[in-house]
Formats: sequence, C-alpha cells, structure tokens
Amino acid sequence: MLVFENIILALTSIKSNKMRSFLTMLGIIIGISSVIAITSIGASAKGVVGKEFEAYGMNNMFIYLNWELTQEGFEQNDLIMPEDIDALKARFPEDIKYIVPYVQAESSTKIGRVDGKVSMYGVGADYNKHKKNMTFLHGRMINRSDVEGKKDRIVIEKKAAMNLFNKENAVGETIAVVINGEMKDLTVVGVYEVPASLFDSMFMSEAYQTYVPYSILQTGDRSTWAVELYTNEDKNQDALGKEFTSYLSRIKDKEPDFYVFESAESQMTTINKILGTLSIAIGAIAAISLVVGGIGIMNIMLVSVTERTREIGIRKSLGARTKDILMQFLIESMIISAIGGVIGTILGIVIAAVGMSFAKIAVVIDPKVIVLAVSFSALVGMFFGLYPARKAAKLDPIEALRYE
Amino acid sequence: MTDEIIRMEELTKVYDTGEIQVTALKAIDLTIHKGEFIAIMGASGSGKSTLMNIIGCLDRPTEGRYYLEGVDVMEKSDNELSAVRNKQIGFVFQSFNLISRTSALKNVELPMVYGRIGAEERKERALELLKNVGLEDRAHHMPNELSGGQKQRVAIARALANRPQIILADEPTGNLDSQSSVEIMEIFSMLNRQEGNTVIIVTHERDIAEFTDRIITFKDGQIIKDEIRKEAGTC
Repeated sequence: MLVFENIILALTSIKSNKMRSFLTMLGIIIGISSVIAITSIGASAKGVVGKEFEAYGMNNMFIYLNWELTQEGFEQNDLIMPEDIDALKARFPEDIKYIVPYVQAESSTKIGRVDGKVSMYGVGADYNKHKKNMTFLHGRMINRSDVEGKKDRIVIEKKAAMNLFNKENAVGETIAVVINGEMKDLTVVGVYEVPASLFDSMFMSEAYQTYVPYSILQTGDRSTWAVELYTNEDKNQDALGKEFTSYLSRIKDKEPDFYVFESAESQMTTINKILGTLSIAIGAIAAISLVVGGIGIMNIMLVSVTERTREIGIRKSLGARTKDILMQFLIESMIISAIGGVIGTILGIVIAAVGMSFAKIAVVIDPKVIVLAVSFSALVGMFFGLYPARKAAKLDPIEALRYE
Repeated sequence: MTDEIIRMEELTKVYDTGEIQVTALKAIDLTIHKGEFIAIMGASGSGKSTLMNIIGCLDRPTEGRYYLEGVDVMEKSDNELSAVRNKQIGFVFQSFNLISRTSALKNVELPMVYGRIGAEERKERALELLKNVGLEDRAHHMPNELSGGQKQRVAIARALANRPQIILADEPTGNLDSQSSVEIMEIFSMLNRQEGNTVIIVTHERDIAEFTDRIITFKDGQIIKDEIRKEAGTC
C-alpha cells in the first residue's frame, strides 16, 4: 500500500505549501480545540462539583415545607416543632446522625475601629464531624453544652480573625452582634479554615461565615420551616428522604407531600446533569466547525489535484496504480487534518487550562477525548479527502500528461 | 532475426469526441523485434503519438490486436497495465516530466517505489543509474537546478529503473540544444548496443532519426514508409 512512502510524500507536500496547509488545518484546529476546551471545562467543573459536595457531605439533607402547597396558606403548627425533630430522631435512630432546625442570621459588628458583617449559621453539636472540610486552627467547634445551655458562643473563619482582631488566634475575644433585635456579645471559641471553593466566587458575600449554637438564634415557640440533617451515608439518600418526609407528614396529620426533602446527592446529580447537557450542547455546536474544516480540506485537495494533474500523469506512466494515487491523496488529506487535530488538541487543553486557572480549578483532561478528537479529525480528513483523491486516481494518464 | 517483442495486427484507434470521430490509426500492422533501435517519424497529427501511447500501454486500441512479448494487451486489466508500464516499459518524454520539488535521486527511485522495491535497494540502484548517466554528483539536486540535458539524463535513468526491455522516448531531444541532443541520442545508442534494450524514439527530426537502425514514417494514421537501415546487432 506504500503507506510509509505516502506519508513522507504528504509531509513533503505539506511542508512545501506551509501557508496553504496551515490555513487548511485552521478549520480543524478551531473545531477540535473548541470541542476539547469545552469538554475539558465541563469535566473539570463536574470534578469540582463532586469535590465540593463531598466536602459538604454527600449525606447532607434538608427537609422543608412544600412551598407550592403552603402558598394557599398554612397554620403555625404546620411548621416543624422541636418535638417533631425529637420524634424523627426517635423514629430513625440509625439513619439520622444529626438534625437541627435550619436557622441563620446576619448582623453587622464593630470591633475597635473595624466594621464587619457576620453571617451566623445555627448548628448543633459536632457539626464539623459531618461537614468534613473544616480545619480548626485554634479552639473548638460549637459543642453540646453550648447548644443546650444557649451559650453566646461563636466560631469564626481565619480571615475574620485576621481582619477583625488582627491576629489568627482570636479565641476568647468577643464579637458584638444583634440577634432578633437584641444586643449580644458572642465569645469566640474557635477559629477554622476551609479550602477555597468554587462557591466562594459564585456567592460572593462580604459577610464572614460564622457558626453559632442554633438555640441562640431561635425565638418564640422555636418552630422552623426547615431542618438540616446528616443521614446514614450508607443508605440510598432518596429512599431515606422519602421515609423521613412521609413519617413527618403522618405525625403532623398532613398530605404526604406537605414536607419535601432535598439531598446533597440529588442536588449534585441535577447540577452534573445540567453541566453534562450543557457541554454536550456547546460541544455539538463546536463540532459543526469540524465539518466546515472538512469542507476546507476538500476544497484545497481539489485545487491540489488540479495543480498536480501532470504529476499524477507522470506517476501513472511510471506504473502507479489507481489505488496508489488514491492512497497518496487520501493520506495527504488525513495527515493535514490529523496534524490539525493534534494542534487543536494542544490548543484546546491550553484554553481549558487558562480558563480554569482563572476559576482556580485544576483542569481535568480525559485522554479518551484526545484519542477521540484526533481520530475523528483524521476521519474528517478521510471523508472529505475521498472525493478529491478519487478524482485524482481516475484521471486519464494521457490527458493528465498533456495538462499544462 | 531476433525475437518478436511487439506485434500489432490491424490496430485501429478512433477518438470519439461525440460529434466527430477521428481515426488516429488506421489498421496498422507492425512488428518490432527485441533489440531494435527504431525511429517513428511523421508530422504532427500523423498518429505517431497515438501509436506511442498504445505501445506504452497508456491507451488501448479501439480495434485490432496488440501483443506485447506475446501477451494480448487488450485482455489486461488496468492494474495489470500499470504493472506493464512499471516493469516492461521505460518512458522518456519531450518535457522531461520529472516531478518537481523532488530530488533527481527520488525521481529515479519512483518506478521502484511503485514496483514495491525496498528503500535501500531502491537508493542503491538509483545512485548506480545516475552514475551511469554521469550525474552521480547531482543526485540530490532538484529538477529546477538541472540543465535540460541533465534533466533528460535523469529521466533516462528513471526509465531504466526497473530494467525494462523497451525504452519509449517521445521527442526526447525536442527541448534540447543540438549538443545535448547528440549526447542523449548517444546514450540511447549505447543502451541499444550494449544493454540490448529495444529503443523506440518518436521524432520529427531527420537528424535524430538518422541515429537509429529503422525509420518508420507515419502519415494520416498509416505507415507510409518502413526503411531498415541496418540489421539490429550488426554494428
């Protein structure tokens, strides 16, 4: 088949027409690089989402009132009461590892001359055993006695400690806040650190994320519209969520879907599905440029066949068979687009890496995608090169030799 | 008499251009023996080029028989004709027809590439052939770096690559000055005398034809004169 000779021949021909070959490849380069960049960005984002959820705990779950049903109005005792939480805990001792009312508050504070805003998230004891990405630099997390004793305690981020107190170890300092209209001095019992997260930049907030005992944020009858749980991670989260909500509806004497749940797992699945669909959709649009690139290759190969008509005649007179000529032009168009594919792959990875570096995300490159992209581009070259190559191979040697 | 290498019986070639039919060759009978040195003469349009194309298996006759080394060419497939052109016939053209941007050496190697000969053997043989035509120091030159006479010598080396019995030259001196023409014709004579090749030269110049042993003259698609000047091999 003279494959080796034809490859050398193709490379010589590409080299002697550098500018033309490059412009021909450009379509393929743009197509492949955009497909690679988009799929890599998609894969990287998926990886980040996965890690983010893992840090948060894949067994994290919220149970709350179904908004669609409560729009028609609801009564005070439809809210989730402390005794309902106790009932759930008692009913599912194995499957509920952590359950507290979902309460949070925001307050401005002033320490010395420094103004700041704190977002206080109400937690129960041992919250950091479930939310695994917190690292304590000083002190401790909110504990059982803080919660049960409604103690005015607070756990702050390293960044808050540095900015508000100008030191990392702020344990023992106090932060003055307003909770439910009441001034309170909260004592810092711990300083923590979390790794940088995608959501930091997504939900940019000037307030410092802090944790306080949920009990100090509660008012009145201590009812809540939502509860936060950590469940038995070995079990199917959907099945658990359904069991919890239907039990809650039963004890509250409401229709089965009056309370609904959302698990971290189901959220992640939804986000991944959106990301996946998005990258396939954009990737498919990018793939259209591959077809355009292929047409470019066909066009230039047709020009090349015409230009080299005489050469084809000479080759035929020297004993080249139809198949030899076909292979010569087919291999040339395949090599042009495969080189375009390789350049496009490198460019795509660079684009993805640069793009991801702005979002501070490690780029994920699937080797399968690279193999697929390069072989697909060679396929494009073969498909669009076939017609010009056949045209060359079918030339009549006498006509071709006479061609000026 | 030596062996028959080419025999044509009532060979006719008609070009059908749709509206008009042009008869380029009219029932030609021609026999050529191994080791002959022949010139085919005639004005343009006399049919000599058509005959050349048919002898060289670039074209097929419309009617009649063409036996090449005893085998009927009409029976052969296109691929088999490619093999004939590759192995049995060496072409030399008026306009040299070297492949541009390809070194002299690579040009000489080309028929061996299509003959599926290994790269090393190819190179060795090509260098030897270039040496035989006095161009060993030009092996890596591109065609546009060579003079007309040098180009034609490369073309002759290329024609000899697969050791064909027949050398077909179509106006080989048409683009050359008289001194180069003589040099080229001497190479053909040498090939005929020393190597025993059958050499067929198409020309319209009497001086060139004078180098050969037999001059066949064409007019209007027919042979009007076939003069044998010396018996082959009786130099």
